[in-house]
Amino acid sequence: MNRWERWGWTLAALPAVLVLLVTFGLPLAQSLAASFVRDGRPTLENYALVYRLYRQDVLYTLGVAAAGVLLTFACGIHLAGYFRLRAWPWVEFLLKVPLFVPFVVTGHAMRVFLQPSGTLSLALGALGLVAPGTRLGLGEGWLGLVLALTWKHLALVVLLLVGAFRAVDDSYLEAAQGFGAGYLRQTWAVLVPMSATPLALACVLTLTSMLGSFSIPLLMSRGSGPQMLMIDLYYRFGQHGDFGVASALGVISYVLASGAVYAYLRSVAR
Amino acid sequence: MRSPSPSLLGLVGRAALGALVLVAVVGPLLSLGLWSVAERWHWPAPFPQQVGMKYWSRMLQGDPLRALTRGVTIASVTTVLALAMAVPVAYLAARRRLPAGPLALALFILPQAFPQLPVFASATVLFYRWNLAGTVPGVVLIHLVGGLVYAVWTLTAAFRSIGPELEEAAQNLGASTTRTFFRVTLPLAMPGVVASAILVFLHSLDEFNGTLLVGAPYVTTLPVYMYTASLGYELQIASVTALVLMVPGVVLLLLLERFLRAEYLAFFGHL
Repeated sequence: MNRWERWGWTLAALPAVLVLLVTFGLPLAQSLAASFVRDGRPTLENYALVYRLYRQDVLYTLGVAAAGVLLTFACGIHLAGYFRLRAWPWVEFLLKVPLFVPFVVTGHAMRVFLQPSGTLSLALGALGLVAPGTRLGLGEGWLGLVLALTWKHLALVVLLLVGAFRAVDDSYLEAAQGFGAGYLRQTWAVLVPMSATPLALACVLTLTSMLGSFSIPLLMSRGSGPQMLMIDLYYRFGQHGDFGVASALGVISYVLASGAVYAYLRSVAR
Repeated sequence: MRSPSPSLLGLVGRAALGALVLVAVVGPLLSLGLWSVAERWHWPAPFPQQVGMKYWSRMLQGDPLRALTRGVTIASVTTVLALAMAVPVAYLAARRRLPAGPLALALFILPQAFPQLPVFASATVLFYRWNLAGTVPGVVLIHLVGGLVYAVWTLTAAFRSIGPELEEAAQNLGASTTRTFFRVTLPLAMPGVVASAILVFLHSLDEFNGTLLVGAPYVTTLPVYMYTASLGYELQIASVTALVLMVPGVVLLLLLERFLRAEYLAFFGHL
């Protein structure tokens, strides 16, 4: 590559960098700055308002995300371990389907499925598992949200974990089998410890995604009771036009996501 | 590996697991299918009283059709722009010749790591100042955030998988780097370029958060249309739209499952 070509290629790479700086870098910096400004003066008032109005929602968001991660990995580890030890291609394929279902569609599907008069209540009633006409209140509270977030994220977690588990050499599993270890023992005593790094990475990414989830709670929430942080941010911004407090909520979400930022930056550094 | 002898408990467990996965994955999607053909469905009947394609045919006219065509237009423009801009970055990154390499690449990964909504809300404020809010170019710009990230990473992987030997051979015969790129590297990387284009197109078609904020109130794509219908309790319209939105992704999964590498699939998790 001579000097002119080098200049040409660098110049050609510039638009992409500029677009991301304008549509991502600048807005990120602006929201950081705006969170410390109210009525044109530098202040911490936005954060004080967040503490007064939204501290319960911050805890609620953390709780929902933590429960979602726990449920996702409780299912994901056992499924991925099962697929590693006893191949079952069509079930593995089936689990990949939610990967291709957009978040906003997941939100609507779960709303129709889980709401009190939703199809799950109807199906269970028709099967005689609950009294016909029962309205299961799964969809509107935190549990429905956890189930919906798990449904969407499980596909990616299983995909990542199966990949990690398949990288574990057969000889370790055969040795464990030789000592009489069954499926559960092999999963927890061999596969999980030997995949600690990818497991931790998947965990951080899932947690961040759930903390920052917007369209699923937007479609499932009933508008009263505690809300996810992104819903508060959306209404604060869209309906109250209060960019300062919305930005402070945003900065809190950046802090909560810092684990993922760190993980991603390390993957670039490699 | 020695396959374990099937025990009765193992078989029952396997059947139960298969049934559970089937119900859990297909159940919510099946509800969408039922609602999309339910012309009349009064609670608590387990099935619609009257089924028909009324709401599907409504999809082919008026607002939903306009949202669909507008979304496809936006996705096409986004894909062309994202790929054109990402190719030089990805090629330089793959050959480790990107100036300020790690710093520049960090810019192309951070949008994945940060929560989108606060950044997009802030971008909306800027776009209002620049008269881009509520316009198609504004929506294309916001779709380019994710589009560029996906394109740069998939293309970098594609270019990296083509060994430097072929390029060196072409250069030894006197071809310039640029000529070598267009005559040797790019044609060889075409499968990766196509996969990248599909990924960016699907991202744009399904993008909701940014479109809702930046596009409002004039630019309505299919996901925004579905959201409005669902909140207005037009469950049939919303379900038909939701199924239409799922089609490209599911077709892709069925056709390309064998060809899509795990690292591409991982990107779909963020749709």
